[in-house]
Amino acid sequence: MRLTYPTCATMVLLAALNLGAQQPPPPPPPEGQRPTPAAAPPREPRPEEPQFDAEAVQRGKDLLVARCGFCHGSNARGGSSGPDLTRSALVQEDENGRQLGEFLKVGRPERNMPKFELTPPELTDLATFLHATIYQIGNRRTYQILDILTGNPKAGEAFFNGAGRCSSCHSGAGDLKGVGGKYEPATLQERMLMPRAGRRRGPPGPRATPPWEEPNAVKATVTPPAATGALVRLTDFDVTIYDPETKQMRSWLRKDDIPKVMLMDPLQAHVDMLRKWTDDDMRNVTAFLAGLK
Amino acid sequence: MKANTLALALAVGLLPFALRADGLDPALLTRPPVEAWPTHHGDYSGRRYSTLKEINTRTVKNLTLAWVYRANTSQGNAIIGGEGPETPAPGGGMAAFGGLSIKSTPLLVNGVLYFSAPDHAWAVDARTGREIWHYFWRTRGGIHIGNRGVGMYGNWLYFLTPDNYFVSLDATTGKERWHHEIASIKREYFSTAAPIIVRNHVILGVGGDSLDVPGYLESRDPETGEVQWRWYTTPRAGEPGAETWPDEYSSAHGGGMPWVPGTYDPELNLYYFGTGNPNPVLAGQSRGGNNLWTCSIVAINPDTGKMAWYFQATPHDTHDWDAAQVPILIDGTIDGKPRKLIAQANRNGHFFLLDRTNGKHVLTAPFVDTINWTKGVDRNGQPVPNPAKDASVPGTLVSPTTDGATNWPPPSFDPDTGLFYVGTHEAFSVFYLTDTDPRPQGWGAAERHVASVNGSLKAIDYKTGKVRWSRRLAMSAGGYGGGPMGLLSTAGGLLFGNDGSGNFVAYDAATGKPLWHAGLGANTSNGPQTFMLEGRQYVVVGAGDSLFSFALQ
Repeated sequence: MRLTYPTCATMVLLAALNLGAQQPPPPPPPEGQRPTPAAAPPREPRPEEPQFDAEAVQRGKDLLVARCGFCHGSNARGGSSGPDLTRSALVQEDENGRQLGEFLKVGRPERNMPKFELTPPELTDLATFLHATIYQIGNRRTYQILDILTGNPKAGEAFFNGAGRCSSCHSGAGDLKGVGGKYEPATLQERMLMPRAGRRRGPPGPRATPPWEEPNAVKATVTPPAATGALVRLTDFDVTIYDPETKQMRSWLRKDDIPKVMLMDPLQAHVDMLRKWTDDDMRNVTAFLAGLK
Repeated sequence: MKANTLALALAVGLLPFALRADGLDPALLTRPPVEAWPTHHGDYSGRRYSTLKEINTRTVKNLTLAWVYRANTSQGNAIIGGEGPETPAPGGGMAAFGGLSIKSTPLLVNGVLYFSAPDHAWAVDARTGREIWHYFWRTRGGIHIGNRGVGMYGNWLYFLTPDNYFVSLDATTGKERWHHEIASIKREYFSTAAPIIVRNHVILGVGGDSLDVPGYLESRDPETGEVQWRWYTTPRAGEPGAETWPDEYSSAHGGGMPWVPGTYDPELNLYYFGTGNPNPVLAGQSRGGNNLWTCSIVAINPDTGKMAWYFQATPHDTHDWDAAQVPILIDGTIDGKPRKLIAQANRNGHFFLLDRTNGKHVLTAPFVDTINWTKGVDRNGQPVPNPAKDASVPGTLVSPTTDGATNWPPPSFDPDTGLFYVGTHEAFSVFYLTDTDPRPQGWGAAERHVASVNGSLKAIDYKTGKVRWSRRLAMSAGGYGGGPMGLLSTAGGLLFGNDGSGNFVAYDAATGKPLWHAGLGANTSNGPQTFMLEGRQYVVVGAGDSLFSFALQ
């Protein structure tokens, strides 16, 4: 389909992030004192996910460190003389310690792996720890993002006010005041790059607001009849817009690009920036924003 | 000839319709698909091009619904097999992936469509959409993300299950002949591939990159199901390619799952397929080197399982860009000389054209505009990764995302237009290294999706790699949802695909102009196909849980 993107500098970015009162920016945090990020929302376990007894996992971990760690490493990923247990086919295919127990009774003398006498509860704990570790490795949804605030906030501020031209729409003392306490850093970075959620963020459940009711929704003008609203859906065969004043949706069938649809994205500057960001600039501005308390 | 005679007899009502036990004539596999669709891509070339033209740019406006088959998953009247419990765990299975989605391209043999979904296989009358039989597999679990379809040899059908069983059914009755386990579910392998049959070889690939396990392609005997050969997608000690890994341990745990069915050149007797991404997936610190033969297009002799050549599309991948997209055979002309070529639109955003006799590169061209992970393309046609674009603790902004610039849905090549058609997607993600251990495991990093900035259907001139036409897909308030899609081109001048918004569309193959569409309520989810049956041309496509059939009024 043929789409036209007019440039409209005054509209760009007005609606990005949250608006607030104009106040002077707080000083950047001193070295070594990073802002405390807001916590990520807790994740609901899926019904088919296995549950591991946390105490058994801890006991199994202690046991591993004491009895196996010398060869296999204190995190079971292998050490100076023993292989990675979490990648071992025998461990991965073990059922509740059964095959592991059989193996440990004998060891692997030809490779200097001694036999181990473990009590049945010890064996269960060890197997629980190993299986919980393997489960964590295999489930990337549970991976924890580390401390991402490694950028230089001063350089970030300079980019914000200078080359990045962020300050043509935003102000640390105004619309972005307090933004560093509002979001955990990865979400802050993500929103900085693109304030509009393309994919739903947060825990499962209905959206608080449909995307076309967001103030930064893409605007569409449908001609004829020169109707304007927030874009809900545009295909080669139909177009639907939402009028925030009447709270009504309107839609038209389309053929051969008629009616014409002109789009104006209030976040076009953010879209364009995606191709321009260096990773250093991105990290620095994130560090700057995280300091806006 | 036999098929023609039967079709004619059926057309004039001389014969009652009956399931035939003589099965698939193997000669059909090397001909363009007309009255049969006997293998996953229609024929071995992977072109997904049909010589049929009853439905064409002029008549397509009269295309209308012939029937709908909504996939029946009830155990009620099913033929039941499998090793799992009678009642599966709640919330697992296909439910965890948004319900049933038909990703399988049905086979059409002797008037019957055969297709599959995770844990299910069906036979459906291609004239009426009536179910003939339904086979249900009781699963032990595994990732139920999809199943690409069935393979056929004589009267036997073959398919794979999410819990890694290779199952053979009698095509007439749907009754199981046998099943064999091909990989361990406890090591997080899962299987989605459609078996490809070359003579008496049933060729299968495994999938699953959650843990750091080895990838392999197998050939199995069609009668017994036993292994004929197994080819590991990474080298073992002493093999050529081993020098691209730090040691045998990292290579043997280096993934490379060949999870998408490939193509075959009978003259050269080579089977072509793409290998998966290396493991650990997004954290490359323990696997320095190019990591052969991951993310590669590979040619293998189906009789011996020996590799003839490889071309690595992404050296040392750190973004999940497997090369498992369909490599399409093109008999074309370059600089006035006839050439045996092979082309792939790769998940990493580049179109590759190779000489399929030896794997030598002919041309490499990006087909999306947002690629930011390379330092360019070297003289061998390989993109050169920029290590600064690896996942990092504070985050690295990368395009394409792990979804890729395109993905597994089959593209199409039309010899009439000389265009290679592919559904594309431009998006950005931030990649966060979460496992800083010198020996990371699994994925080793997290991805946060930032924005989808474009979804387009593109037509690439295979001789130049230039995009001849590009058509934007549907847009919603949240951005672009469409992109990779199954495609079919025909001698009627048509290209069948979707618009990213639930419409099945016939585009003008020369210009990309939409000529006809039908709202199916869900995006098409498999490769569309067409065939002639009793004198009538049908177009069949899957969308979500239903198979739709169209014919002229």
